[in-house]
Amino acid sequence: MSDLSHSSPAAPAARFRSPTDEAPLARWLLIAFVTVALAVLVFAPLIAVFVEALSKGWEAAWKSLISREALPAIKLTLTVAAIAVPLNAAFGIAAAWFITKFDFRGKAFLITLIDLPFSVSPVVAGLCIVLLFGANTAIGSWLVGNGFPIVFALPGIVLATVFVTFPFVARELIPVMIEQGRAEEEAALTLGASGWRTFLTVTLPNIRWALLYGVLLSNARAMGEFGAVAVVSGRRESATTMPLKIEMFYNEYQAAAAFSMAGLLAFLALLTLLLKTWLENRHAGELSANRRGH
Amino acid sequence: MGRPLVYKSPMPGLGLSMGITFTMLSIVVLLPIGALLLQGVNYGAEGVWATVNRERVWKALYLSFRLSFYAALFNLIFGVILAWVLARYRFPGHRILDAAVDLPFALPTAVAGIALTALYAPNGFFGASWTKTIAPALNAGLEYPEAALNALIMGLGFEPWTLQVPPRIAYSTLGIFIALVFVGLPFVARTVQPVIHEIEREVEEASATLGASRFHTLRRVIWPMLLPAALTGFALSLARAVGEYGSVIFIAGNKPLVTEIAPLLIVIQLEEFSYDGAAAIGIAMLVISFAMLLVINLIQVWSRRRIGYV
Repeated sequence: MSDLSHSSPAAPAARFRSPTDEAPLARWLLIAFVTVALAVLVFAPLIAVFVEALSKGWEAAWKSLISREALPAIKLTLTVAAIAVPLNAAFGIAAAWFITKFDFRGKAFLITLIDLPFSVSPVVAGLCIVLLFGANTAIGSWLVGNGFPIVFALPGIVLATVFVTFPFVARELIPVMIEQGRAEEEAALTLGASGWRTFLTVTLPNIRWALLYGVLLSNARAMGEFGAVAVVSGRRESATTMPLKIEMFYNEYQAAAAFSMAGLLAFLALLTLLLKTWLENRHAGELSANRRGH
Repeated sequence: MGRPLVYKSPMPGLGLSMGITFTMLSIVVLLPIGALLLQGVNYGAEGVWATVNRERVWKALYLSFRLSFYAALFNLIFGVILAWVLARYRFPGHRILDAAVDLPFALPTAVAGIALTALYAPNGFFGASWTKTIAPALNAGLEYPEAALNALIMGLGFEPWTLQVPPRIAYSTLGIFIALVFVGLPFVARTVQPVIHEIEREVEEASATLGASRFHTLRRVIWPMLLPAALTGFALSLARAVGEYGSVIFIAGNKPLVTEIAPLLIVIQLEEFSYDGAAAIGIAMLVISFAMLLVINLIQVWSRRRIGYV
């Protein structure tokens, strides 16, 4: 690493300042500024969630989480994530395989389309799904007639969740698979391995950490999505996920219940960050996060 | 005759991977967005315009895009500083700060929304001191500059301008700004940080050898290298802020014409079963967003070409 020179605490460094370092005072001021700013912007809200959630004690927080109102929301969120995240992973793997193992025209355009959900407001995403599958549309009324409503029900929430998390896995896998090239797969195929065997024994081990990373990000977003899900759920009690339940509690002046559920989601977010940091430290070479930029 | 659509390849799984890709892309992304555009087409250009061209809608769109721009600008500057400190300096607590930058990605927006509201409400931890001491002090200090400015502005024949800060953070535009800063915080830092890691020290050493001061090196050598990535982060942060709903509706107070954001108007239209109205506002948001992203992309191409790589 090239930053050995400025991080070593050797004695002469006190007198000799490298020409590629800032003045010590400027450096400490910058560090202090960043620390204070992050404390106010990021740590304070996080602490506020836990303080408010536990304001009436652990027992009260726990009781509000296992209450008849809260439990179905927790179950629904877990169900939605359990369906949406694997769908996303399957799409991400297929799209990354198609994009990196084959040459075709319009590849850049396809990647732009996959990234499109990032630049669409989640509320607009929910609106799009309502306009396509709502009961007043041709497809929607046919589906409702056949006993399979999408909007205001589980399928719509899953669809909205897949929309907002759509690019996560694909974006993570594509750079890694481009870097790894096709030689290993070609060797396996030449030696007579079938396509599936090549994928399972050659490709998958190479991309597993990047896949896990993408799944992790996608799961965090899936469990926390608010805007898109709020629109497709239509505020039905039966289609209320955890984030929506937070809003309901909050608007009903049940602040303690709202914050306990928020605390649970914040705890999951911290867990996600911990895993993510671990992945970045242990498997940095196998992730795309460190190769972006160019 | 011409290039083939898909080049021949010995790789297996073309049909399967292409099939899954296009099927899911169509069902999840293309058909729903198509349905939105179709609704707009059926409603007609006049209908869309009549919906958008109302004071309440204009005010909401203006509020959303203006505050998103300010928040993305704040994140652009703060994100570059943050990336620099995290990439170049080693200090106690470095790893915790590095991990904390990603918290806004991981924390659900509804959680962020109620947490920020609790902190910045007039009786909250930060909100109380703002309402009791900071805002009155600021406003008292701003009285004279405001009077002087308005004497000038009104002398030129314009409407008077206010410099006064709102007495509350939550339930005012300041609160919306803070929520938008929070959700967009990681984008610039995370796109700029890898670029800083890749800068070769030799470039800075060469600049120092040629007699440039450290500040001069940072401004004329480092900054142009960071600019394209910083602009990418700015665009991502802006797009995120414009569409943000979850964290904002808690802290905004949602007062029509004052603190009502554009995505909320869509939700209100839908609750009134006005699908045409919702589609019209949705299309307006999409059009403005894409126009902005296009401009940022052009600036980016220009800044990349200027420094001569990629």
